[in-house]
Amino acid sequence: MAKPRPVSGIDPSRRIRPNARRILATRIAEVYEYDGVVADPANITALHDMRIAFKRLRYLLEIFGLAFRDDLDPFLEQVKAMQDLLGDIHDCDVQVPMLEAHLAWLEEQEALSVQQMLTRTRQAPQPADEAAALERFRSRLDAARRTDERPGIHTLIAIRHGQRIVLYTQFTNEWRRLKHERFRQRLETALGLR
Amino acid sequence: MGRAWEVNGLSPHAGFRDAAGRIVLTRWREMMSYRDGTLAGDDIEELHSMRVSSRRLRAAMDAFADVFPSRSFRRYLREIKRITDTLGDARDLDVAIEHLASLIPDLEHDDRPGIEGLIDRYEEQRRTEDAQIRALFVRLDDEGFAEDFERWVATHTGIKVSRLRPEPPEAS
Repeated sequence: MAKPRPVSGIDPSRRIRPNARRILATRIAEVYEYDGVVADPANITALHDMRIAFKRLRYLLEIFGLAFRDDLDPFLEQVKAMQDLLGDIHDCDVQVPMLEAHLAWLEEQEALSVQQMLTRTRQAPQPADEAAALERFRSRLDAARRTDERPGIHTLIAIRHGQRIVLYTQFTNEWRRLKHERFRQRLETALGLR
Repeated sequence: MGRAWEVNGLSPHAGFRDAAGRIVLTRWREMMSYRDGTLAGDDIEELHSMRVSSRRLRAAMDAFADVFPSRSFRRYLREIKRITDTLGDARDLDVAIEHLASLIPDLEHDDRPGIEGLIDRYEEQRRTEDAQIRALFVRLDDEGFAEDFERWVATHTGIKVSRLRPEPPEAS
């Protein structure tokens, strides 16, 4: 996660507004630094960092909002919407590897169970009826395996991949719209930065 | 999720230092108001509210970082971050379990055992998180962190929590 850039020139003995302006100007600039890199849907880290940058901006608008004459709530809502959208994308990016790790874990558990079953079978006395013994072996092997748990996880991975594509498209549309509507310029004007 | 508490005595023309004390102490008390409910574990929303409040507190501390000496600031911020992270691990599992359970009715029959197995695994992990949360708060109590934190904010902002008297919003 990208660290927030330090803000110079803060004077705690002054009022909120002049200090808030400096801090907000830096955090707005940080959001827009990701403009180019998030054009690539595979750039997971940049999308995550942009979400964090939006989150920092959102909290600061909440904290410092009362110090400004203009109503900042409409800006706050848009920032929050972008943060939520990027958050949903991040959930998909995190969950898919987690589900893949769960599949690997299922395999490990299965190998362990089969190993234990084989050890028990080897230690048991030799059966007289070979056909019945083979049937019993097959049934124990089936019980030790966890094949029935895999399809659901594969389905979930497919669902998440699909959602990720839809969410990313929504994000790029919204980001384009904000830029088209000169969101940054309007926000900076409301904060007295222009 | 709990609503953010109003900050008493905060005006648009407030000094930066004064605002820092009022906002940080209000967010601190807001977060701690969910502590007992979180530890009781009867309602997952209590933990969620506590986590959200801890994030608001961290954001407030970051915003007013210049009011505090940098070394002690880093130490306190690190402890608040630890609270957020510990609650976050439990919250992520709560969300995942709730989400997976909501998917089950619409899934094909063959897909259900996998999701049910995953829920079982997450529930097992979630039980260990309760112990982590409890251990964290026992340690903070032993160290007298709450009194220490409130004193530290008062020292550098001039705002005492006993005079600020932060309160939850009226239930609507």
